[in-house]
Amino acid sequence: MIDDVNEIVAKVFSISESQVNDESSPENIESWDSFNGLVLVDELENHFKVKFTISEITDVKNVADIKRHLKNHNVS
Amino acid sequence: MEKTLSEYISLSKNIEDVNFDKKLKVAILSSFTLNGLSEILHVKCSELGIRYQSYVAGYNQYNQELLDTESQYYKFSPDVTFLLIDIRNFLGENFHFPYDMSDDQRKSLVNEKINHLENIIKNFEKNLNTKLIIANFNIPSYSPNGIIETKSNFGFHEMIEEINKSLRDISKKQNSVYVYDFNQFISKHGEKNVFDYRQFHLGDIQIALNFLPYFAYDLMGYIKPISGTNRKCIVLDLDNTLWGGIVGEDGFDGIELGHSANGKAFVDFQKELLSMWNQGIILAINSKNNLDDAMKVIKEHPNMILKEKNFASVKINWNDKAQNLKQISDEINIGLNSIVFFDDDKLNRERIKQEFPEVLTIELPDDPSQFLPILKDLNDFNVLQRTKEDVERGQMYAQQRERNEFEKSVSNLDDFLDQLDIQVKMKKSNEFLIPRISQLTLKTNQFNLTTKRYQEEEIRNFTNNGDFIVGCAQVIDKFGDNGITGVYIINKQDKLWNIDTFLLSCRIMGRGVENGILSQILIDAKKNGVEEIHANFIPTQKNKPAENFLSDSGFKKEGDSWIYKLNNEIKLPKHLKVEIE
Repeated sequence: MIDDVNEIVAKVFSISESQVNDESSPENIESWDSFNGLVLVDELENHFKVKFTISEITDVKNVADIKRHLKNHNVS
Repeated sequence: MEKTLSEYISLSKNIEDVNFDKKLKVAILSSFTLNGLSEILHVKCSELGIRYQSYVAGYNQYNQELLDTESQYYKFSPDVTFLLIDIRNFLGENFHFPYDMSDDQRKSLVNEKINHLENIIKNFEKNLNTKLIIANFNIPSYSPNGIIETKSNFGFHEMIEEINKSLRDISKKQNSVYVYDFNQFISKHGEKNVFDYRQFHLGDIQIALNFLPYFAYDLMGYIKPISGTNRKCIVLDLDNTLWGGIVGEDGFDGIELGHSANGKAFVDFQKELLSMWNQGIILAINSKNNLDDAMKVIKEHPNMILKEKNFASVKINWNDKAQNLKQISDEINIGLNSIVFFDDDKLNRERIKQEFPEVLTIELPDDPSQFLPILKDLNDFNVLQRTKEDVERGQMYAQQRERNEFEKSVSNLDDFLDQLDIQVKMKKSNEFLIPRISQLTLKTNQFNLTTKRYQEEEIRNFTNNGDFIVGCAQVIDKFGDNGITGVYIINKQDKLWNIDTFLLSCRIMGRGVENGILSQILIDAKKNGVEEIHANFIPTQKNKPAENFLSDSGFKKEGDSWIYKLNNEIKLPKHLKVEIE
């Protein structure tokens, strides 16, 4: 399940999945701006059927953070 | 299934629309974050063959953009503007503390806000002659006054209702202004779903991102009639679509229509179809069935809502459904891209989708109770104004069926035309006729010399300009009134008239009406001392029926233009009477 994250990240930022890893972040993905970051949250929430808190959303600095928060929502 | 915002955004990056002949310039002005909306509209327009160009104003810049005549917005000169202001922004702090004000203060605040809106709209109208779609305001489900909100004198909710009412009043007075019922959008999808407090605080997003595609879908309800991509005919299957069961197997008494829960769902579905027919939507039948079995239900079943006269074309046979659909389109003379197809059978739907992708084939679930909500949700049947011709369309097609039967009974075409007693009434454009004239230029594809599309505002400009003649023709025959079905626009240049537009609705093609209209134009020109009439034929994929009209009428080709010299005698066709009003 949690492996779907990379695929979703790739889809939202229109890049190939091979370019996505745990260190992927707004620093190294050009299209990862604040609005597209929220589009990513929306996609993740719909896919994993979870709701993040504002703190979780603003805390995300890279893909590893996303996976950590998803685990806290019992996504494995 | 609606796509997600992310899917729309990625699709919008790879649209190839440079060859589309329809173009639309859309401006989005909003008081809150609406990123993504333009991408969705772009994709949805390209699906309809429209080349979409957009101007998205900066965040909360709507006021400056509309008031400054030098703004980028006015330079972009959009065909349609969506103005979306949210109630929080509009009322400011007063949104949170409405009861810190006295009743009178609330009233004067609302008046001030209404004046502000009127002022913006006036400015728009002064500078742009195109369509403005302004969203009304959401009335929150909450009030600081709780259960006594409805007892409050000019309360919080009443304030917003009052603003919404004023917007409605403005749109009734101004032809080019439409109110989008945003409050109803929230009702339909639910405030708790559409308004996401997290997205609101993170980025002033006031329509949750997963609802943005549905919001764009609603806005397409305006874009479709503006771009002439709306539809006007519903083709229906019978068994398990208009009634439950299969009449050939279950028998007249065995089908479900009325009484049972499913039977009631079919009756309700038919009621909505009849209501649409009453507003000018054409209905037709495409069914694999024994003709006698099916017609007996239509004619005699006590709970059948739709009657034989409601159907402009009836194909009940064992032929291929795609072939039937093509015949229906030919018979009522409308394009396949004007048709919506309802059929419960997946195989039939796949057949039509494959053969005619331009037909809108509706995915129906097995549960008939869902047919009605699906029908009501379609945004394809919208019109910018309901003309007299729209409302009477159903009746006109019934007359057309009689006409066809009469034609079969007469031995040759000339006799048929002679006996039709055709009268052509030529009228000069006026305020009352402008909507219909514009509608015909937007929708007519076949008998159309130049296929120039004109919005109402443009027709109004031509009408008020002394260098132009804008005229139209009403056609009446022994079977009834076909309404306004011909349009011509002429640009006058002293001794030379140039035919900018000449078109005939498909409804009356093949009856020589075009010759009557043209002769009258020639007579009129001669009277005015004109020496030459110039005309153009701009070929499209669809206007072959008009291809030979100019040469058959005595025009001679010179370079790119067709020219008629007025020194010849002008002949009027004998089979029809032309009157000038």
